[in-house]
Amino acid sequence: MTAYHPLVKLVLDGELSLAELPPDLRAQGEAALRMVAAVDRTPVALPAALETRVMAAVRQRAASPWRRLFRPREVRLRIQPVWALALAAVAIAFFVIPRRYETRSPDLSARVAPESVLVRFVLYAPDAKQVALAGTFNQWNQAATPLVRAGNDGVWTATLSLPVGEHQYAFVVDGRRWVTDPAAPAMDDGFGRRNSVLAVSGRGRAS
Amino acid sequence: MKRLAWLLLAAATPVAAQRPDLAGRLAGRVPAAVIPVVQSLSDSAVAHGLPVEPLFQKAIEGGAKGVPAERISAALQTVFVQLDGAAKAIRSGGASADVESITAGAFSLAAGLDSGQVRDLVRASLRANATAVTLRVSGMLTALGVPGAKVVALVSATLQAGGQPGDVLALPGRVQDGIAHGERPEQAAEGLARAAAARVDGGLGHGRGRTNPHRP
Repeated sequence: MTAYHPLVKLVLDGELSLAELPPDLRAQGEAALRMVAAVDRTPVALPAALETRVMAAVRQRAASPWRRLFRPREVRLRIQPVWALALAAVAIAFFVIPRRYETRSPDLSARVAPESVLVRFVLYAPDAKQVALAGTFNQWNQAATPLVRAGNDGVWTATLSLPVGEHQYAFVVDGRRWVTDPAAPAMDDGFGRRNSVLAVSGRGRAS
Repeated sequence: MKRLAWLLLAAATPVAAQRPDLAGRLAGRVPAAVIPVVQSLSDSAVAHGLPVEPLFQKAIEGGAKGVPAERISAALQTVFVQLDGAAKAIRSGGASADVESITAGAFSLAAGLDSGQVRDLVRASLRANATAVTLRVSGMLTALGVPGAKVVALVSATLQAGGQPGDVLALPGRVQDGIAHGERPEQAAEGLARAAAARVDGGLGHGRGRTNPHRP
């Protein structure tokens, strides 16, 4: 795609005339205008049968028994006072009783277990040609989670959705060098090296 | 009779479900000599009611890092000992040794806590019913460089002050804040433990009269 000078873009937008461009940009401006002029503006003619085919498909979809079953309908309810009282009692029982029970037994691990949290990993490795993330969350597979270079400053990033729990990991630089995360605590990996560790809680990354 | 058979089958299912096709999952990912070691340790783990997944994870970690088979086998033995030690410490602390708690306990042992400290942490966590969270956070604090005794003191004080699991979960971040302010990990932990103890002494309870111990 051609990258036009901002002044040429103003010409294309009609905010400047070609004559107002500096001399060295005029050739670019003329080329841009020629290209715009060459665009085919003939109205597109749709086949005559298209509308019929589309409408037939819509009617067939609307006739589906499932659609009719779940089609929105207007429902009118008239609640007698005695029933309103009964419903209010059920609502109070539903909202109040479980909360009392929860404050007695707040097992957060059970409550947050199904949650996942987005975690962003960042490594500064200006000389690296490729960086990947390997850890307990991807079966230590260094092909599973490559980091992408963010700009030209040597910063590599990846964002993962991780389940609640503790995770151990390391960056793999150029497919051979295992590097711990300088922003996270580390522990012995049992093989004479170190793994970075992070604990993901239901409220975000604990550390 | 038929109902009894179904009950027995249902009771046996969790143990049977823990026996995955390990050889298939490990093939091509670890040295061949490691597979029978994982299989044997997994059988023992199932027999002792321990989780199998940490053994599998350690094996493939070693394979991915190109570690020799003997060294992976030694690391697997260590993981098994940590899982077993965690389960015993959790039971002696008075909690039920479920998979999540055992995994968190083994993590805290691997991070550097000893089994007596794990048992003390489990006891402290009973009232809040937060064994796994407590052990997971304690492992993180140890990995951050807080000595084991200080970890126990900090987590216990937080729970004793009426702290909820969410307050325990926040501890590693608060210790890291202290480190970012120039404190050593043990100093940061001591400051937070003192603040929690003050809440108990002052009868304030958690969440009331909370102060920032890092503020001069």
